[in-house]
Amino acid sequence: MPYREKTAWLSLIAMVVAFGPYFTIVASLHREPLPNLRQLGLFAVAAIVQMLILGLGHLYLGRRSPEEARTPPDERDRAIIRRSISSAYYLLIAGMILVGCVMPFNSSGWTIINAALFTIVGAEVVHYGVVVFSYRRQS
Amino acid sequence: MIEGSISNRIRILRFHNGEMSQAELGQRIGVTRQTIAAIEAGKYSPSLEAAFRIAQVFNVPLGEVFQWDENATH
Repeated sequence: MPYREKTAWLSLIAMVVAFGPYFTIVASLHREPLPNLRQLGLFAVAAIVQMLILGLGHLYLGRRSPEEARTPPDERDRAIIRRSISSAYYLLIAGMILVGCVMPFNSSGWTIINAALFTIVGAEVVHYGVVVFSYRRQS
Repeated sequence: MIEGSISNRIRILRFHNGEMSQAELGQRIGVTRQTIAAIEAGKYSPSLEAAFRIAQVFNVPLGEVFQWDENATH
């Protein structure tokens, strides 16, 4: 498995492990007015978990194949990155229109914040998912 | 649109050049071994620049490495 596919798997796993439980928990919480420090704490935990998984994972992968880690992306890697980013862009822009233009009229506070976070996490999952899929298909 | 797909003879050319490895060919044209494997399998079409570099490594014209196959479809 190429180094870049491994790092995409790592990012995908980190995103799901950190933010999967976060969104599951916040969906069951009672809505409280801002600043709602409990939600802020949960978000901080999710962000720290993600950073830890990514940091340790990159360290491990970099030590296992240092040459591949140092090699810059070639033209196929760049094509895969372009394809994945353009796929994620559609979800991100749709989510941001919903969060920025629709939700302010019927929601407030952490609901809007979590919807924005969900959109960003969803777009990242699509981004890394397309990278993994492209490497699996060899395309 | 004209139907067809790109086929290539990289595997044969590698064989005729002392069984050159995918990694060595990749190193000489500046791509990874996985990219050479994807090109060989017809899963990835390289840039024109990379295609010319491959032909240069084998010292043959571009048309001997890549062909347009009108009978094949994607």
